[in-house]
Amino acid sequence: MHRKLGVVVAVTVVAAALLATAGLASRSSTTTRKALPSGPVNLTMWWWGQQEAAGATDWLKQTVTLYEKKHPNVKIKTVLQTTDGLIPAFKAAAAAKKGPDIQYFWGGIWSLDDAWQGNTKAISDYIPKSELAHYINAKEDTYEGKVWTAPWYVQPSFPVLYRKDVLAKAGVTPPRTWGALLKACDTLNAKGITPLAGGVKDGWFGGWLFAIIGAQGITSISDVLDATTGKAKFTDPKLAAYWTRLQELRDHKCWNDDINSQDLYTAQQAMVQGKAAMTVSAGSDVKKFVKSVGVAKLGVMAMPKWGNGPYAGKLGSTSQTVGITAWTKNPEWSADFIMYMHSPERMASWFKTTGAFPADTRFNTKLITLPQQKILFGLVKNGSPYLENFIPPELDAKAYFAQAQLLLGGNTDAPQAAAATEKVAQRIRLTQRKMMANFKKWSATYK
Amino acid sequence: MTSDTVVLPPPRRRSRFRPGRLEPFLWIAPALAIVVFVFGYSMIALGRTSLRYEGKWTTENFHVTWSDPTFRTAIGHNARLLLAVPILVATSLLLSILLFEGLRGWRFHRWALFLPYVLAIPVIGVVFGQLLQFNGLVNQILRALGLGALAQDWLGQPRWALWTMTGVIVWRELGFGIVLFLARLLSVPSDIFEAGRMDGARFFRLHRRITIPQLSGVIVFYVVIEAITMVSWVFNYVYVMTNGQGGPGDATQVTELYIYQTAFQYQSPEIASAAAATLFVVTLGFIVAFFHIQRRSGIGIDE
Repeated sequence: MHRKLGVVVAVTVVAAALLATAGLASRSSTTTRKALPSGPVNLTMWWWGQQEAAGATDWLKQTVTLYEKKHPNVKIKTVLQTTDGLIPAFKAAAAAKKGPDIQYFWGGIWSLDDAWQGNTKAISDYIPKSELAHYINAKEDTYEGKVWTAPWYVQPSFPVLYRKDVLAKAGVTPPRTWGALLKACDTLNAKGITPLAGGVKDGWFGGWLFAIIGAQGITSISDVLDATTGKAKFTDPKLAAYWTRLQELRDHKCWNDDINSQDLYTAQQAMVQGKAAMTVSAGSDVKKFVKSVGVAKLGVMAMPKWGNGPYAGKLGSTSQTVGITAWTKNPEWSADFIMYMHSPERMASWFKTTGAFPADTRFNTKLITLPQQKILFGLVKNGSPYLENFIPPELDAKAYFAQAQLLLGGNTDAPQAAAATEKVAQRIRLTQRKMMANFKKWSATYK
Repeated sequence: MTSDTVVLPPPRRRSRFRPGRLEPFLWIAPALAIVVFVFGYSMIALGRTSLRYEGKWTTENFHVTWSDPTFRTAIGHNARLLLAVPILVATSLLLSILLFEGLRGWRFHRWALFLPYVLAIPVIGVVFGQLLQFNGLVNQILRALGLGALAQDWLGQPRWALWTMTGVIVWRELGFGIVLFLARLLSVPSDIFEAGRMDGARFFRLHRRITIPQLSGVIVFYVVIEAITMVSWVFNYVYVMTNGQGGPGDATQVTELYIYQTAFQYQSPEIASAAAATLFVVTLGFIVAFFHIQRRSGIGIDE
């Protein structure tokens, strides 16, 4: 009897071991190999990210080399896109149904807009649920139960970086509240120091400002979604307050005088050079600034708090993503490469190279050693939704980019900017009928 | 008949095919076929897209486009850019005459004036974008000269941005006009000018009575080319100098950028097509009007 029991136990243990092995194998990227079509495979990946995660180019090159070594039948070509060209280039490729197999997308609507257009395949059709469950912020890329693009790295959106030495010299403590920020602007200006360095020439910073300042006045993401769909208005106090705050920054001369003729990345250098006390940076890029300024001199914080809403004083959290194009002949291989990017060794290498947090719960957070990154990680762990990902790109560009340029240049005021935003939203509801229908369905999932 | 007799082949019957007036068309037929295929297909596709929405024929796309304040602004800006055409013509004419008159160091001046035209527009855009920043070199020089009051945010202020861009476009396009006019001037027989001088004509009269009439055909050509440039060929300048935004606000928005943004950023091909069709009709109108004027006045026709 004991012998029989022993055999049963032994068989069970072996079976369990085999199952466990199979289970483990299914977690790794190579486990899908059995399902992967054979034969030579050529993949093209259009991506963006070196601009906000310095070192990403080297990491991707290395990752491709390692993957090709592992799968000699696969060749991957990567093409780095410019910030202004990322979206139009992909839209043109989509129109021709020819171009990349793997495409980079910002999160939220930036990813879903192409899903709605039929330009991407749902990533959740190719990546197992158990794997996707680890990907951080995948919810914002989810529509009708499917995840459309796979989070790659987290974008803490967007921290204020400050020069401890410059502020101390001016007798200013890092401002944590709105009132303190405006007061700091007055003090720093009196001492000939630019309080905040920024640039809106290329527009994008206007969207950032809306997200990091505007989010503080709303009670939930629905406020923005409702205004977009027409259930509420962008002139409603919760949303219009953003423009008032921005006008306050302008009136207190918080920004560099050439904010309208500088792009953001160039303008940030004034903080590095010590000419400005603070700037706003991509959270994924903080390591670069620490290297340039010095660990002891650089501070990190969220945009000073002004509202009482749930997102006030918090940092936005989004993930930059990659998706599989609708026309690719190799969706399985594309998905396998994306999963390989999430392998523990690659994630550790990504963080070491770029300093940006991989968008994966399996990332070994013990690797975070820089104090600035620790603060950032803490902020992003309790982060809020990133507002810019919840408005149509056309509204972002025609209202939030454009009106920020006009307001900061002294050519409009807060009420006019809010009214102009509402007008653009109304127009988009008229011209982007298909997109708005999908947007409404998507926004319903945030109720 | 001797063995030396040369036997001539029978005379070849001459072909009865007489293409007559069709002959020129036969010669250009291959090129014409390519043009018709490339442009004809595009135009049909453009017309079709602009008149369809969700599978139905409609003119609504045009109503939506024409009622768009951004589109109207863009059209208005293209119209304002047309003001640069007379400036271009007058300035290139004056400079080419000065070069023709043997201005000291004219070879260098000719090279310097033509150089901008051979520079790539993105290069020009980037360089001027830097120079014209609020704290850029131009304003630094003005401030150093005690003219700080004149320093402006040339590309960052809506009231200046389009005019600044016009200045950059004029700077580049000038070279084309100068070379065009100078080449024509050099082909005018010198005895015409000598006769004029012997008759007592001085600089102003000489060039008004001789140079301008001699150059009329080239001037008309240049006007047409530059008018088309201002209406539908300024995209590169705007895109590079404003990072594809047409800002600040919509201060430098032009029709081409509107079409590009609408089609490739906001994914509304039907609206973009309606705007493109409108732009095509406007440009065609210009060309037809210019040639109509040319035919009526006879300028440059009998040269």
